[in-house]
Amino acid sequence: MASSSGNDDDLTIPRAAINKMIKETLPNVRVANDARELVVNCCTEFIHLISSEANEICNKSEKKTISPEHVINALESLGFGSYIAEVKDVLQECKTVALKRRKASSRLENLGIPEEELLRQQQELFAKARQQQAELAQQEWLQMQQAAQQAQLAAAAASAGSAHQAGSAQEEEEEDDM
Amino acid sequence: MSRVKLIMKSSPDVSCINQDALFLTTKATELFVQHLALSSYNKGSGKQKNTLSYSDLADAAEETETFQFLTDILPKKILARDYLKSLEEMEEVDDN
Repeated sequence: MASSSGNDDDLTIPRAAINKMIKETLPNVRVANDARELVVNCCTEFIHLISSEANEICNKSEKKTISPEHVINALESLGFGSYIAEVKDVLQECKTVALKRRKASSRLENLGIPEEELLRQQQELFAKARQQQAELAQQEWLQMQQAAQQAQLAAAAASAGSAHQAGSAQEEEEEDDM
Repeated sequence: MSRVKLIMKSSPDVSCINQDALFLTTKATELFVQHLALSSYNKGSGKQKNTLSYSDLADAAEETETFQFLTDILPKKILARDYLKSLEEMEEVDDN
């Protein structure tokens, strides 16, 4: 979704996502529109809060990249410790999925033909194709030459034939020459 | 989740975020929404009418310590005349 007028501060989580979450948490509850809008903005505020806190923790630890550990500590220090258990579970799932994906891709490589081999085979096929094409072109050229030669011979024979009518003695001489 | 990443990066000083850390933050934000909605609803007066209103949220922000960071962005709705009055008072102070 492109927005030409928005600046970074207008960035919020998509409204639909928030509405869905509220619906799941409070089914059958009517929620005022301005309340929903408020929740959307609170989310953004929350993310800023966690990010800043985690960033501070990260700087203190002299690392450049904010790690999951930093985020967890940030949650704790900001009073959201109750989220930590669930959040850790999700992290675990995440790692398991990533691990499975890595296993799957390496298994593929072992069973099948590795990419390098495939590339090599591809090159071979290309080279073969090029060669065949070249041979084909050459053949065509030879055929053309032959056809041209035959045409020449035919033309020569035709003119010899007309000369033949003129005088048979000349023909004998010509035959010797040939 | 990419929206979360954008918001995180718009915070000052934040440089690099580990992918898993991003995931964690996203999940935490989800939990936050649920938490906020639930506690506002339970504390609020809207419960009787089975609704969640702006004031429920505002009240929760004021009363719950962990939600106090929200008070900056959610001014309690005040009557227009009260606002005008406080504006006038501020002007008087400036004049002095």
